[in-house]
Amino acid sequence: MQSGTVRFKFSGEPIEARAGETLLGALWAAGRAEGLQAGCDGGVCGACTVTVRFDDGRPGGTDLACMRLVEAGMEVFPCPVEPVAAKAPACGPSPESLRAAYPTLDRCTQCRSCTTACPMDIPVMDSVLRMQRGEWQAVAEDFTTCIHCGLCRLVCEDKVQPHNMGLWVRRSMALAEETVPAAPDPGAGEWAWLLDGDREERLRRATEFRRDGKVPA
Amino acid sequence: MMDWAAESMAQVAATREARVGRPGPKIEGEEAERLLEEYHPDHSGKERSVGVGKNAGADRFPLELAALLEADSPVPENFEARVDLETDVLIIGGGGAGVSAALALQGSGLAVHLVTKLRLGDSNTVMAEGGIQAALGEGDSPRRHFADAFVGGHGDNDCGLLRILCESGPEAVGWLIGQGCLFDRNPDGTFRLRPGGGTSVPRVLACRDFTGLEIMRVLKEALRQSATAVLEEHAAVEFTDDGAGQVTGAVLWDRKSNALVTVSARALLLATGGSGQLRLQGFPTSNHIGATGDGLVLAYRQGCGILFPNSHQYHPSGGVFPEALAGSLVTEAIRSTGAQVVNREGHAFVNELAYRDVLAAAILREVSEGRGVRTPTGRKGVWLDTPLIEKTQGAGTLKSQFPGLVHRYARYGIDPAVCPLLIYPTLHYQNGGIAVDGWGKTEAPGLWAAGEVTGGLHGSNRLMGNSLLDITVFGRRAAASILKEISERKAVTLKGLTRYRAVLKTLPGFQAAEAGGKSAPGLFPEASRLKFHRAPGKLPPMAAGPEPQTPFEPPDPFARG
Repeated sequence: MQSGTVRFKFSGEPIEARAGETLLGALWAAGRAEGLQAGCDGGVCGACTVTVRFDDGRPGGTDLACMRLVEAGMEVFPCPVEPVAAKAPACGPSPESLRAAYPTLDRCTQCRSCTTACPMDIPVMDSVLRMQRGEWQAVAEDFTTCIHCGLCRLVCEDKVQPHNMGLWVRRSMALAEETVPAAPDPGAGEWAWLLDGDREERLRRATEFRRDGKVPA
Repeated sequence: MMDWAAESMAQVAATREARVGRPGPKIEGEEAERLLEEYHPDHSGKERSVGVGKNAGADRFPLELAALLEADSPVPENFEARVDLETDVLIIGGGGAGVSAALALQGSGLAVHLVTKLRLGDSNTVMAEGGIQAALGEGDSPRRHFADAFVGGHGDNDCGLLRILCESGPEAVGWLIGQGCLFDRNPDGTFRLRPGGGTSVPRVLACRDFTGLEIMRVLKEALRQSATAVLEEHAAVEFTDDGAGQVTGAVLWDRKSNALVTVSARALLLATGGSGQLRLQGFPTSNHIGATGDGLVLAYRQGCGILFPNSHQYHPSGGVFPEALAGSLVTEAIRSTGAQVVNREGHAFVNELAYRDVLAAAILREVSEGRGVRTPTGRKGVWLDTPLIEKTQGAGTLKSQFPGLVHRYARYGIDPAVCPLLIYPTLHYQNGGIAVDGWGKTEAPGLWAAGEVTGGLHGSNRLMGNSLLDITVFGRRAAASILKEISERKAVTLKGLTRYRAVLKTLPGFQAAEAGGKSAPGLFPEASRLKFHRAPGKLPPMAAGPEPQTPFEPPDPFARG
């Protein structure tokens, strides 16, 4: 299944790759790494965004070069996305504060381009509509897996900034959450016991302490 | 899909019912020590001493790292360090440690520049999946956290650093929430805590299997709200000094304009992360493409010592199939949730929550003794029985708790809810690193360090969830220390480099970079063939380096013939 050579085009130039390779791997092997920015090579940083199309009419689209396998007849172009200015979150999202931060929220014409562009399969457009309705919990869930590659924003003709809003909603929810109580934690006696002795003795004591989290009686 | 493994997969399925509630055997104490000695790559003997710098002659280094420390600087011999940019604090590295520090310096009145070789946030932080430890559960305490990490680190941990880490856990989580991080909660609103390998109580907080991504995207956004100046695609290639041992700035390579930029700073924070892309002993890596050990090289040239240079973490569950996911991380949290590690015959040969080094060694032994599974491209591995989770925790658990894993494998037609995953150890973390004190101060005045580039905190084996805590705690502590102790602006020279070079030239086989020799820091994975252009401006930016000299990942699954 993964054998043989695959020919595709990158920025108009023909490249020969091995079947089963990712686009990024193929570019590296071909000495073409300079042509495409990369970050994690693991599908989570969003650096290596590309557009993909086929000369035979197969549907193309946008994707991550570090995850997408090479296919014969592919035409690939880099599609870098610049970040936009960050907006301060609110303490708990509200329809007013979201619209104040992102006035283009209601410009969505429901063309669904954002959903199509998302390499993480997030229902982006549906989530924008949920934002319009103030369904914060669902929005936070939708954007749990967002890598902020920015493709949804890039393809939006109405200047809606879905992923930025998704993060804004999540951060605003976090700010309203109960944080960690600053409980008093003296424990001085336990520290003295744990840190007494040489390495071997400390290891022995730590091993005992792990049993129930106390200095053994 | 995976027909070649059908027989073994059938055996895994056949033994599944009998394995419910019966984890594999524990390997502890002397048995564990013997296993590590025999099978852990740290003990393979593929190491040597170096002839230059603070550790010269004293410690053993992996061959790949030793070669970097004994390589020339890419800065031309006739380069004059004329200051192009002045700042107060120069932070090198755009991952969690660097960004935490920058946020902690907000409002201080100091000019802060954060420079990063890639883009802001492109780091190992963003790739961390399983979680962050903090002693917040029932029956837990910072002492218990300490005891777990100390035993896991084989008692090699710096007790002072480790105590700070464990005592700072709850506050650090509170700080992250204050920046806007959402951690998974139980229905009653308490944090959902998972166990990790070597935790004696559940202590790991998570945002599904995207914990590092959650932390990084939030900190990145917070940083963009701040006045910090960010220079992306600026790689640090050398430090400058005042001629008397104080680090006073850096020479950066601006990748876009292909120019060298000299920066003068009153304090520097090294937060360049780890070195998985050195692919020690040919192992694959779970690290991002920038993890090439640059910080070790830069600080070492300024007289800093490296602790535990030969201690690396091979994460037990690196991907094996498909080829595109070879070496990529399969989070440990999936084992905390009940996935067992089983061999070709469907036998659980080791407890899935053993310390990482022990589990990795057990997997290497199993494979070397012929009880692993071989892929069509020649890789080997053992099974991570993910369908077991669906059986014990209920259908849909994987999709709801591990959306990243499910999505990643779905691209290649594999559903972990139905099909077990092949795993094999992957180079994951640099346990050792630059020596620092509790405030991130290195042995070189003017230079602080935080995060994976430092050593001592984790001893010779790190626990899951302690690296995300490390960067959050020590990034901010370094910032606090810088605020207190920042020096006056000093001269910017390359005298330290000149001295280091003088020793390099006495080493047998040394070849200057300008004469075609190897240069360090490496900046990019060898496999990428990306290179520092030694003569800025003279080479077109599209030029690629030569073909890699050494195989970077055995077996090369695509090797022809």
